[in-house]
Amino acid sequence: MTERLVVSPSPHWKTDKTVSGLMLDVVVALMPAVLASVVFFGWRALTIILTSVSSAVISEAVYEKAVKREVTIKDYSAVITGILLAMNMPPGVPLWMPAIGSAFAIVVAKQIFGGLGYNFVNPALAGRAFLMAAWPLHMTRDWLAPGFFGGVDATSSATPLAVLKGAPGGTLPGIWDMLLGNRAGCLGETSVIAILMGGIYLIWKEVIDPRIPLGFIGTVFVLTWVFGKPGALFQGNAIYHILSGGLFLGAFFMATDYVTSPVTSKGRLLMGIGCGVITVLIRLWGGYPEGVSYSILLMNLVTPLIDRAMVPRYYGWKHEARKEKTL
Amino acid sequence: MKRSVFYDFIKGFIEENPTFRLVIGMCPTLAVTTSVVNGFWMGLSVIFVLVFANVFVSLLRKVTPDEIRLPVFVILIATPVVIVELVMKAYLPAMYEILGIFVPLIVVNCIIIARAEAFAFKHPVLNSFADGLGIGSGFTANLILISAIREFLGTGQITVGSFRFPQAPLFEPAAVMLTPPGGFICLGLLMAILNVLLARRERKMKAQAV
Amino acid sequence: MIRTRALSGGVHLDDRKISSGKPVEFAGIPPEIVLFMSQHTGAPAKPVVKAGDHVLAGQVVGEAQSFVSASVHASTSGTVKAVEDRYHPILAKPSTAVVIEPDGKGEIWEGVAPGSDDISTLSPEDIIKIARNAGLVGLGGAAFPTAVKLSPPKDKPIDVYLLNGAECEPYLTCDARLMVEEADEIVFGFTAMMKAVGAPRGIVCIEDNKPEAIMAMEKAISGKPGIELCVLKTRYPQGGEKQLIQVVLGREVPPPPGLPFDVGVVVSNVGTAYSLAKALRTGMPLVDRVVTVTGAVGSPSNFRVLLGTQVSFLIEKAGGYTGEPGKVIMGGPMMGVSLPRTDVPVLKGTTGIVVMTKDEVNLDKPLPCIRCGRCVDSCPLRLLPVWIAAYSDRGMYEEAEKYRALDCCECGVCAYRCPSRRPLVQSVRLAKQAIMEERRARAQKVSG
Repeated sequence: MTERLVVSPSPHWKTDKTVSGLMLDVVVALMPAVLASVVFFGWRALTIILTSVSSAVISEAVYEKAVKREVTIKDYSAVITGILLAMNMPPGVPLWMPAIGSAFAIVVAKQIFGGLGYNFVNPALAGRAFLMAAWPLHMTRDWLAPGFFGGVDATSSATPLAVLKGAPGGTLPGIWDMLLGNRAGCLGETSVIAILMGGIYLIWKEVIDPRIPLGFIGTVFVLTWVFGKPGALFQGNAIYHILSGGLFLGAFFMATDYVTSPVTSKGRLLMGIGCGVITVLIRLWGGYPEGVSYSILLMNLVTPLIDRAMVPRYYGWKHEARKEKTL
Repeated sequence: MKRSVFYDFIKGFIEENPTFRLVIGMCPTLAVTTSVVNGFWMGLSVIFVLVFANVFVSLLRKVTPDEIRLPVFVILIATPVVIVELVMKAYLPAMYEILGIFVPLIVVNCIIIARAEAFAFKHPVLNSFADGLGIGSGFTANLILISAIREFLGTGQITVGSFRFPQAPLFEPAAVMLTPPGGFICLGLLMAILNVLLARRERKMKAQAV
Repeated sequence: MIRTRALSGGVHLDDRKISSGKPVEFAGIPPEIVLFMSQHTGAPAKPVVKAGDHVLAGQVVGEAQSFVSASVHASTSGTVKAVEDRYHPILAKPSTAVVIEPDGKGEIWEGVAPGSDDISTLSPEDIIKIARNAGLVGLGGAAFPTAVKLSPPKDKPIDVYLLNGAECEPYLTCDARLMVEEADEIVFGFTAMMKAVGAPRGIVCIEDNKPEAIMAMEKAISGKPGIELCVLKTRYPQGGEKQLIQVVLGREVPPPPGLPFDVGVVVSNVGTAYSLAKALRTGMPLVDRVVTVTGAVGSPSNFRVLLGTQVSFLIEKAGGYTGEPGKVIMGGPMMGVSLPRTDVPVLKGTTGIVVMTKDEVNLDKPLPCIRCGRCVDSCPLRLLPVWIAAYSDRGMYEEAEKYRALDCCECGVCAYRCPSRRPLVQSVRLAKQAIMEERRARAQKVSG
């Protein structure tokens, strides 16, 4: 009897999918969109992303050191927040904006509430909302016309959504430009194909639940088709609506954030649909041209309620319910 | 044990700081702290009302029947509020325009009714005077602190009359700090920092006691 | 062909049935036999021998004292060394055991009388009596007394009897081997079980990762009226009683205290059917069972093991450790119990001994929950482990009860899939214990 044995509760096997592994999958899935942003908006896009990521990681490390918590930058969650925030910015913003936005996202929206797992809204979106409220002009005016690898035209250009909403002097880009990303918009939202590649990768790796993106995009499609054209039903330009703005980015990468979305499958579907409804409300009848980020933030806030309401029918529960009724 | 008058004055700054520790008087704290000047005048008005009310509540505490003490408090508070309102209207009309509704609303400010009920009604005049002055000054200090941060971040400089610091904004001001969300964020962060510092001090004191 | 339903949740595991090609061998008579009086669900048996007594194989050493209990028999002949407290591997505390020093002769007790090879001559009561006298319990792991299972309440007619050969736990191959080698005996025992409960229909359920067993059983049931074969897609925890009923029949057992009886079903393990067949034919009570000794051992094997044989003896038999042992698990890696020491005996419910090396043992620190919902998606009972565990960790057991903590079958899928490595099963177990204690205290107050 010389062996020293480990005693622990069952199960004695664990999957090799860890938190950092899942987060790394998301980083990998974001790479096509990062690449597309560099292709269409030049190296400037990369500097914005790198600034945002380093600020996020440094803020996380500094804050955790300051409050004597374990430093968790190795779980890649801060990296994701940094990339996502950068993806949500117009390509013409000054570099201090991603830096401040990421620091805010990490420190105020995430770490103050207890770090990964305890934040109640998506940190990247909170950072974006903060920047939007703090420097609205930069966030709504610094658009650049896309060029190929740094051939960026410095004149500002209206986004397709603004055109859809009736911005003067804008024309809608062709459908292929919309798909590829050859249009004005935030860094990471323009190339639908690149985002879709990442999204499909995440679904294939079982990292995200397809119910959220499908519910989200599907709802926007149906509602904009029905109500998209003022004064007439069923004539809206639904294709342009789902392809423009940050819908794909938000639906695949931000609404699916684990911490701030419901845990049950029914709840996730509801989350997707809710995001879609709010997005359409804002886009068609609200004051802003784009509503994806606010719709996700609002649904983040009701996630605990969805979790409470959307409880699955437990195994064998039918019988129990009947018994309780007869009592 | 007789309470020290000095303690009653000083406690308003840290231990019983109305904004950060007692979390009362939130309306004016969030609404008027967009500039240091606003914060200062608001604070001054509250000091005056608080001292006036505390002194008179304390003076009349022996003859005030318990059952009707709240109406009595309200009268004793409303009087100085009306004085402040009229004086401000007469001599600082511009400031009155800005603070507007929040001056008459001092009547229902929790800080004042709370001090009347919790302190002045039970303590002698001198202590009540010190308490009113202390809590009022603490409140004023908070308002100035919060408004300094918000004004500096939100406009890039602090403007008091013709005095500006720094002369030109050093950075692009963050408009959000002048909006209510900015107020909440600022207030929350300051409250957190103060609580961390106090908790640390308490721990240290406990460690020393052991 | 039976149309199976999808299992709620669950997970596909790497099954690692490395010992599936090894025929069952007799492990031999060990130097010491330790027979616990508590090897089954229900009241412990009462020892009826004392130190110095000579006992023979099949002789009763512990007598069942109540309805839900099972007798314990000497697994070989020898001298009783002591009746004393030994460390019980499942209860994880000292418990009464009869310790026998075998004489190596394996003489059989005169009370063991050959029975009948013809089930039609036996009445259901006879079969139940034989199962009771044989101390038979479910050999799938839970060790529920078989006689009790064979006596469903009169007002609950049984229309289907499921024979569980799913063996969904990774590594374990004892049931699979038994089906390959003793298919006819299993079917014989199964027929008797069906007769005992009056079930007109029997279904043998096997997962599709055991083609040899499927072939053998298919052959054995051909020409037997009322018995069908159902091949299941491999998925853990399909071998759980409730899960099997859901997958094969589409019925859902009501939550505890609901039992399969309530939906007209009884489920038994193939090993139980085999041991019943043996008891019927030879009169030999339950004194041995098949145990898979596998994992990081020299030669992973399936042994016929005398009950009470020490785990260390079996590991030695299987070629000893390869590499530094990290964990020795009694049962499978998902629901088994990790042993602090290997001088503990095989019990009636021991399906296997799995050795993990030091490198295979996961010692990751639990991280905060990120609410990924994997535990919810994979719970076969469609519970919400994330909330039950969260409430349990905060001591809010009443809330945990509202989320049906007591329904949990501790299959471990949630903890297996948790990327934060949270010990979810352990948290739920704590909640269950606290809730049961609270209930007992309340009941005592009412009665007192």
